[in-house]
Parts: sequence; structure tokens; C-alpha cells
Amino acid sequence: MNIKLHSFIAATALLASGAAMAQGKPVCGLNNGKAASGEPIALGAVVGKTGPDDFSASALASQAYFKCVNANGGINGRPVELTIVDDQWNPEVAAQAAAKLVKDRKVLAMVGSSSFVECGVNAKLYAQEDVMVIAGVGVPRECFFAKNYAPVNAGPRVSATVVAMYAAQTYKAKKMVCVIPNIPSLGNWACDGAKDWGKANGVDVDVIAIDPGSPDATSTMLQAAAKKPDAIILNVPKGIMVPMLAAAEQQGLAKKIHFVSSTPAYNFDVPKTIGAAWNGNFDIHLEFMPVESAGADNLNWKATMDAYGGKTDPRDSFAQAGYLAARIATEALLKMDPKKIDRAGVSAALRGVKGFKSDILCRPFYVGDGARHNANSSGPIAQVSGNGFKQVSQGCLMAADPELSDLRGQEKKLGL
Amino acid sequence: MPDLLPFLISGLGVGAVYALSGVGLVVLYRSSGVLNFAFGALGAVAAYVAWSALDHEWPLVLAVLAAVATSVAISLAYGRLLAPYLAEREPTVRSIGTLGLALVVLGLTEWFWGEQPRRLVLPTDSGAIEFADVRLTYTRVLGLVTAVSMMAAVGLLLARTRIGLAMRALADQRGLSAILGIRVLQVDTAAWVISGAFAGVCGLLLGNIVRLQATVLTFLVIPAFAAAIIGRLSSLPVTVAAGLGVGMLEAVAVLAPGFSPFRTATPFLIALLAIVSWRDVSRKA
Repeated sequence: MNIKLHSFIAATALLASGAAMAQGKPVCGLNNGKAASGEPIALGAVVGKTGPDDFSASALASQAYFKCVNANGGINGRPVELTIVDDQWNPEVAAQAAAKLVKDRKVLAMVGSSSFVECGVNAKLYAQEDVMVIAGVGVPRECFFAKNYAPVNAGPRVSATVVAMYAAQTYKAKKMVCVIPNIPSLGNWACDGAKDWGKANGVDVDVIAIDPGSPDATSTMLQAAAKKPDAIILNVPKGIMVPMLAAAEQQGLAKKIHFVSSTPAYNFDVPKTIGAAWNGNFDIHLEFMPVESAGADNLNWKATMDAYGGKTDPRDSFAQAGYLAARIATEALLKMDPKKIDRAGVSAALRGVKGFKSDILCRPFYVGDGARHNANSSGPIAQVSGNGFKQVSQGCLMAADPELSDLRGQEKKLGL
Repeated sequence: MPDLLPFLISGLGVGAVYALSGVGLVVLYRSSGVLNFAFGALGAVAAYVAWSALDHEWPLVLAVLAAVATSVAISLAYGRLLAPYLAEREPTVRSIGTLGLALVVLGLTEWFWGEQPRRLVLPTDSGAIEFADVRLTYTRVLGLVTAVSMMAAVGLLLARTRIGLAMRALADQRGLSAILGIRVLQVDTAAWVISGAFAGVCGLLLGNIVRLQATVLTFLVIPAFAAAIIGRLSSLPVTVAAGLGVGMLEAVAVLAPGFSPFRTATPFLIALLAIVSWRDVSRKA
């Protein structure tokens, strides 16, 4: 009787704490409820906020997490000060932003950056000044081929490769067409993962580079369909993807060809906008576990956003990325001696990150001291279902992109 | 050699709306001497108003009316309140004034409706005619029919009606026409209203056929200009033919290896060619 009561109370307590976590008590940093009051630790983030799209959700989520950390003991007593700068999608402004953060503000690291233009412009500065960047989101090739830049997301090349692998697996597709905008460092790179994987696996993947400003999506769809593919991979921003799907629907292609997409299509406005023809008919690779998944860390992310984020801060996959970046940085900083936190030490600590686990990620994250970083190279597949999405893959698929072979070697050495 | 026919047919859809926009531009030019750079922006705001109305479950007729009314209202407001201040300046200055309007309208549209992806779905989308492996939705057929019928209607308006005569007189010699007793304000109003209405309808069609995105719709005025310039800003039939041609060429350009990723340049290149070949008339433009 006593034992039964005891375990009942224990079970209730566990349930209650789990429920408390789900209900909005975020767990972060030292988690001791004490406000940090020591000398601030300066971190920075460069985001593309004003322009073709708003990427700032990543840094906002990082900021929410750091606010939580500061309210819970900080970094061994020291609060984190994250300065976010908008690069307006302009490379010149991005260079100035990085110079301001790195040279004037003397940040110890960059956390939660998400910019389309800054990787190419600032990679050299970061390497020269030995500033590590744990970016939320990177897009062009330079973000994944820099010594000091480690994005938490998978990137468009990996994303297209994974979704191509899924199409081959699920729909037995032997011929595919990959559509990519003709933007430097994207047009000649991001569809080639699928192409190279295909070459090694008996799948023929054709690449069509489109003019992103073109008003005529129908011709592109006709051109893709003329190659008689089993599947069409869309690797384009969602603003361009929607008219393409509309054109495909109008041309009756939705029923003839399997349409799949890399991760930009994973946005909660998309299912309603593209319409009923794509219900259960459009598969998308996700860089992280779905936003509504019930894993403990995912729920903690939501709780952190609710408690410390702004009401209008998006709760999307960019925010998941920013949260992870901030958590990675926090855990690395907590291992350091609080009196001796300087840039060189922080960079070394961040490079030493390996085996960082989260249920938002498919595999543990690592940074390492290699010449490039692309630790997130897997993800689940979701399908448009009704006005939302549902996961259709059994767990995650790992990209078998030949270009990742150097990183696979590194992962083996790190024991991952 | 891949089959060109599907692309030519598909290009007719967008080309028809370029043609219709070209007619709208020529109408205003022939009646006020102004090249309306805001044509695309007015169309964009009309398309967004229609989307919002449809999103709020308004019946289609009311949504279209609201959309066209918005573009007409803005066009009229500009034509009656701001354009008169520039009435005595050269055509270039008056045209650049409309560019200012375009940028203001574009900015307000993007600020109010934001960047999320949207689709303007019209009931005419659900049916289509099949032709040479391509399906032309009824919306595109509607665009084609409207372009041709408007070309005829506007041609008749300008050539055979009193107000058409008054418009042409005003465009030619504003001061003299006023002295002769032509009611300047009334004619100006008519010109801007017609242009605004054209912009609204074109905006709805383009928002459906191309993409419901403010910047893209605003700058679709460029291919419309290419069509108007080829028509030497005076001949409506040539404008319509040119609009269709630009649309078809841009569609076929997708097959040109190396050029395809840059094919938005097609209308610019055509306009450039037209300006160089018809230097005497296009100097006005």
C-alpha cells in the first residue's frame, strides 16, 4: 500500500513537472532562477530583416533563450548581451554590420545569425579575427564552406538531396528535375547534391536554373515536364514556389508528376495558399523536427519563446534554429572559467562542441576545427495535409551527398 | 529541336495581359501625354484588394469592383490633385511623376499586406482549353479576349467619339484646346479613370496568371511599355500584337540554353531594339 502511494506521488510529481515544462516554465542555462549580474558577455548576430524576406526569427529566438539564461544564473553569474544587426540583404551593409560587431563591440562570438548575403562578405573577417559564428540559418554555398561559420540548419543542397532520396525511395523515381534560382553560389551548387547523389545511385537528375524574377512560371513547368520526370524537386523560395505549383496545377501536372520541395516550403501559410490539389501530394524536407513535435527540447523551445520572446516573434523552423544556436553557445560557455572568457577561449570552446543532443535535431550537432561545417545533414519529410503538414518519413533521412564525404570522415573521427 | 508550340501558346496567356496593359498605357499617353509608370503598381494594389475581399468571403463581383474602384480612385486622385501641378512641364517630367506614385503605392502595398506568399484564385481558373499539350485556363483566354476587344473599343473611343477627340486635342495642345472650350478637367478625369480601370483589370489578371507579389506586379509595367513602344505609342493594333509577341518570346526563351536564367531581360531587350529602330518617334518616349 505504502509503496503504491509512494510511486503514485512520484508519478504525479513527474507528470506535474513535465506539464509545467509543457506549460511554459522553460529550462535554460544553470536554471537556478537567479538574475545574472556580473560583467556582460557580448555576442552578436547579423540577420537579413529588411528585404525580400524577413530572416530575423532566428536571432529573436536566440535572444529569447539568452534572456531566459540571464534570468537563471547567466553564464556562471555573467549575463549575455546579444546585439542583433539588420544587414538589409545588402552585402555592403552586412560588411559594416560585422565590422561594427567584431571590431567596435568586440563580440566574443556570433550566435543566431541568419543572413543570405553575409557569409560571402564576412567569412574572411571572421577567420582573421577568429570569431566563431554559430549561425541559425545559412543559405548560399559560402555559409557551409567557411572555417569559422557553423550553421545549425542543413542548407538548400542537403535539403534537395534528402528530398530527392525520399522521392527515389517512396515513388521509385528514376528521373527527376531540380529547379533552382539562378543566383550566384546557389544556382550552380544547391541542386548538384541531388544530381551527384543521383549519378552514384542510378537516378538521372536534371537541373533547371531559372530567372527568379521571371513572371512566367508556366514555361518553367512545361520545360521541366518536357523532360518526362517522375519527380520534380523545387528548390526555390516559397514566393516563387507558389506560382510554380499554381502553374503546375493548371497544366494538370499535379496528378502526373510527384512534386517535392526543399525546406523553404515548410511554412504554415503554404498549404492553404497552394490549394486542395496538393493535399497529400507535396512532400517537403524539414531541417529540424516538425514545429509541433512533442519532444522535450522542442516543448522547451516553445516555452522559452512564450516566456521570453516577443508576442509577434515567429515560432517557425528559423526560431528553432536560433534556439539551438543559443543553447549550443550557452552550454559551451558554461564549461569555461567565468573570469577568463575571452574571444580565443570562446572560439576554442565552440570548436570543441561535439555530441550536442536535442530532439529538435535528427543527429547530434558538432562544430569541430575543420575547414568547413555542415553538421546538420539529415531531416524528416513532411507532407502537405489539409491546412497543415504531417510527417511521412519514418524518422529522418541522412543526405548521401558525395560532397559531404569530408565531413563524414570528420564525424567518424569524432565518434558520431 | 524541342517542340516550341506549347511554349508559344503558354506565352499567349501572359502576352495577352501585356497587350492589355499596353493599350491602357497608350490610352493615357494619347489623352494626356503622360507615360504612366504607376500602371503596374495600381494593378498590384487592386490585386491585393481583391485577394483581401475574397479572403473575407466577399462575392467575386464585389471583390472585382472593389479592386477596380481602388485603382481608379488612386489614379483619379493623382490625376486631379498632383498631375495638374506638372501639367505645364515636359512629358518626361510628367512621366517621372507617375514613377513617384508607383513607388509610394508599391511601398504602401508591401507594408500593409506583407511578404507572405499568396495566390489570387479566380473562378475562371477551374476550366481550361487544351491546345498543343498546353492548357490555357479560362482566365488567360479571358485576358486574350479582353485585350482584343478593348483594343477595338478604345480605338473607337479615341477615333469616333467627342470625348476621344477632346482627349487627343488635349494631349496635343493643352493650352490651345482649353481656349477652344474643351472642358479640360472633365477630359482629364476621363483619361485617368479609364487608365485606372485598365490598371485594375490588368492587375487582377496578372495577379492570377503571374504571381501575387507587389514588386513583381509593379515592374510588369516594363514589358507593357515594350509593347507600347513597339506600337510607337499610337497604334493600338500594333501594341496588342507586340504585347502578345513579347509574352511568347519570353516563354520560348526558356528553351534558349544560357539565356534562359536571364529571360526577364527579354522585354528590355525588345524595348531597346524598338527604341533604336524607331528613333524618331520613340524620342518622345
